[in-house]
Order: sequence, then C-alpha cells, then structure tokens
Amino acid sequence: MIVLVCLEAPNPGRAAKAAEGLARKLVQGAQIIAVSAGGPLDNGALAWALERRSFQRIIHLQDSSLVKADFLTVGIVLSELARQVRADVVLAGGSSDSEGQGLVPAALAERLHAPLIARVRDVRLADSGRLEVTVSAGGQLCTLSCPCPVVLTATASHDSSSAPDAPTPASSVETIGLGQLTLDSSQMVPRPELLGTQAAAPSKRPRPIIPDEAARYLLGRRMP
Amino acid sequence: MASIVAYIEVREGAVTPPSLFVISESRRIAQAVGATVYAFLPVGAISHVQIDQLAEQVSAVGADRILCCSDQTLVGPALDPTHGPVLAQLADHLRPLLVLFPAGGAGEQLGPPLAVRVGAAYVPSASIEIPALDRSPEPQSHRVLITRRRAAGDTVRRIDLGDLERPVIAVLHAGSPVGGLGESYAEVEMLPCPPGKHSELHLLQASSDPAAALEACSSLVCVSDGTPVSDLETLRTELPAGACLGTVGDFELSRATPESLFLTGVDEARLAIRAGAVWIVSGTPADLALALRRARERHGVLPA
Repeated sequence: MIVLVCLEAPNPGRAAKAAEGLARKLVQGAQIIAVSAGGPLDNGALAWALERRSFQRIIHLQDSSLVKADFLTVGIVLSELARQVRADVVLAGGSSDSEGQGLVPAALAERLHAPLIARVRDVRLADSGRLEVTVSAGGQLCTLSCPCPVVLTATASHDSSSAPDAPTPASSVETIGLGQLTLDSSQMVPRPELLGTQAAAPSKRPRPIIPDEAARYLLGRRMP
Repeated sequence: MASIVAYIEVREGAVTPPSLFVISESRRIAQAVGATVYAFLPVGAISHVQIDQLAEQVSAVGADRILCCSDQTLVGPALDPTHGPVLAQLADHLRPLLVLFPAGGAGEQLGPPLAVRVGAAYVPSASIEIPALDRSPEPQSHRVLITRRRAAGDTVRRIDLGDLERPVIAVLHAGSPVGGLGESYAEVEMLPCPPGKHSELHLLQASSDPAAALEACSSLVCVSDGTPVSDLETLRTELPAGACLGTVGDFELSRATPESLFLTGVDEARLAIRAGAVWIVSGTPADLALALRRARERHGVLPA
C-alpha cells in the first residue's frame, strides 16, 4: 500500500501534522510518501518531514506557477502525483492554517475520481487488505471499510507516539517539476478569485464580562 | 426567483437545532432580498408519517418547500460518497444562489466537494449580516454579507452575495432559530436518489461521538479554573437548552462554532480567540450559577 501525505507549505500546518499522525499508523505494511507543492526547497514543511522519520520518500513539486496557485490547480497537480506514485491513500489536512477552507483535498479527490472522507479520527489496514477508517460524522464515530484509492482528511491531533519510524526514512528531498507529471502550467487556467474581501478581524481580545451579563446573554438578550 | 437551499441534518429521528437555525437564517435572507427557501432533507428509508413529522419542524422555522430524498444509501452519516451525488443533482436542478449547511460536521464533509463541482465560493464557520441600504426616495434594499474569520485569525473574509457572480456554499456557526417565521406545513416533494459514487464503502460500526454536542451547541460554557466536571452539576441545571458545559480538558475548542463562548478563567484566551469567542466570564462556576439562578428568578423560565 502506498500512502501519500500532503504537507502545507511553507510550514506543515496543524492539520497536515494530524495527517502525518494518521499515516504513521500505517507505517507497517505501507510506503509513506510526503509531498509539498510550490515555494522554495528549504521550507519548514520539508525540514519537519525529514525530522519526523515517518516518510520513505519526500517529494517537493517545484514550479514557479505553484507559488500563487489556487486550490484547484494545487489539487490537480497533487492528483497527478498521486496517480504517478500509484497512491492507494492520500492523506491531507482538513484545512490550512491560513484560509482554513479545506478545498485542496476536495479538488484532489474530484480529479482523482476517488471518494473523499473528511474528519478522519483513526485509520488502520485490515487483514482483508481494505482500509478501515473511523470518521466523526452525524454525531457519531463511524468505522467504515473503504475502497482504494481514497482521499482522507484529518483535523485533530493523533497520538501516534507508539507507532514505529519508517523502515528506511528518507534523508533527502526529491524535486519534481510539472513537466515530469505531464502537466503544462501554461495550460492551467486560474480559478476566479472567490475568497471575498479581506478586512481586519473585529477584535483579537475577548471582552471580559461579569456573570450577570453572561446570564443575560444566555437568556437570549444580546450584549450591548 | 433566486433559490436558497438549507441542508437539514436529522439525528435520532429529529432535526438538529443547527439545522433549524440554518432554515431560520435562510428565511431572514429570503425576506430581505426575495428568494425561495428549499429545505433539503436527505434521510434513510423512513415512513411518510416520520417525513411529515420532520417536515412540520422544518416548516415552522421558515422553509417554503421541502425537498426530501429518502433512500437506503442515505441511512449512514453524511459523507460525500453517499450524499454528494444527490446534492450535486439538486444543485444542478435548482442552480441555487446560496447553499447553507448547519454546524455539526455535515458541511465539512459535503461543502468543499460541492463547491468544487459547481464552481462556488465556499465559506466555513460563516455568519450572515443583512445591512439595509438607504436609497430614498426608492424603497430600502438590503445586502447579504457572508463573513468568516480566517484560520490564521488575524483577518476576516467577507463575500457580498449580490456582487459575486457565483453561488456560495456556507457552513453556518451554531445558533438559535428565530420562531414564528414559517408556516404550519410546507409542501414536501420527494426526490429520486441517484446511485452513490463509491458503492464499495461499507459502514462497519458506529458509536456515540462525545464531542458531537460541542459542535452543535449555540452557547458554550467552558470552565478553566481546574474545577472537575463532576462538581459542575449545579451549574448544568441552570443552563438553557443549546448550551454545552464542560472543562477545557473535555473539549477540542477548535471544533466548536458557538455564537457565544464563556470561560471562567482568562488563561484560555488564546483558545477562545481561535474558536471565534468574544466574551469571557470573569468569575467562578459558583458565581455563574448564582447569576443564572438570579436571572431565572427575574425573567422566568429559561428559553428552550
């Protein structure tokens, strides 16, 4: 089984770290590959991946078009890599540390024609060779038997301290250009900007209130 | 007329409170800008009597029409492989201006793939503002602004629904529905269910998720002064419906999207900011319990 873990760049991101925690649970019986897309080779995400010793390969997709690529382009590029390395499982963070939307895994899954399952809490390889995934959905923790390839996203941190390191952890980063994925960056049409306008957040400091005010709020009366 | 689709989640045979809030917000928008509110109700194979009971709850908070898809493939949790195809079919048919998901997880599962398929903007943890525009002597008009705080926490993103030439898919924070906006019974239309995209997905087992209540609560009271949760029973009895109580250790605060969040200590301010909270109660659980009791005496029964 081949597991591809998508890292957020330039830093790995909380959710991407959670994805690595899940991938570690598959170390025995799977080859785990990390990938980051765009930005410089000496980014924090790749340095973190090298330190973690859970990845047998670490790949950096390098192309100037990826620096400011939209989520759809990143999803297309990652899905082509997933195809090329014949990934059975793609693990990604549920949302980035910046925008926090979680659209890249959705674009990746759509392009890969693979099911997308979000909010994954646990994963294990069953004796049957199928993947068993525990997901938080509908007020329940549901364990599903999944076909492969599948795209999974994680949000919460996972205790993988007991999981072993990869048998032969990667000691260097491979760089791959879009040409090697048979993608032509000049043919990629950027998606329209749909993020909306950006403004300063109202207040970064929570407002202390007295219990009486709290009580009024809980009773349905708006604060002044 | 423009369409708004409100996704309805059913748990243990009842519509979830965040789903009622989503319909209530849809109604508020529809009243301001003129739109039809479609409540989309995907359920397993259930009886007509049960559908009628659910429809009654949904109608009361403001749905114009209820689109129900009842099929065995929809029995399990709302996941894209099972629920995505019917949602995409619905979006293709209605071409809605806005699709709203309730807090509680369904939006995180279904929202991003739907946004990719229909080329829509996607707004998680959203809140809606409807400011009035004075155009005198012309009649007053309204804008619909959909706002979310970026995960980085430093800025907000805001979409003006009227300016964007694309549909918007948003997951609302948990909130309390406004009563009296709807009719006693809206028309129910049954939809055919397209086959799931990945039929090899099987549900093996399901158990209760202890954090689920947290995601659906409209108010969160989080005790962070080291008080064990077993000592909080007095406070629990004073809380209104829709409020969730626990200690910091019990909660993954990043999963909560309440309208209000109360902490009885200030040490967790960083977490509060990340969860979008704006108020912190400076007092002990005993102080809060006393205040709630006084409020109950002053204002009568706490709202359900």
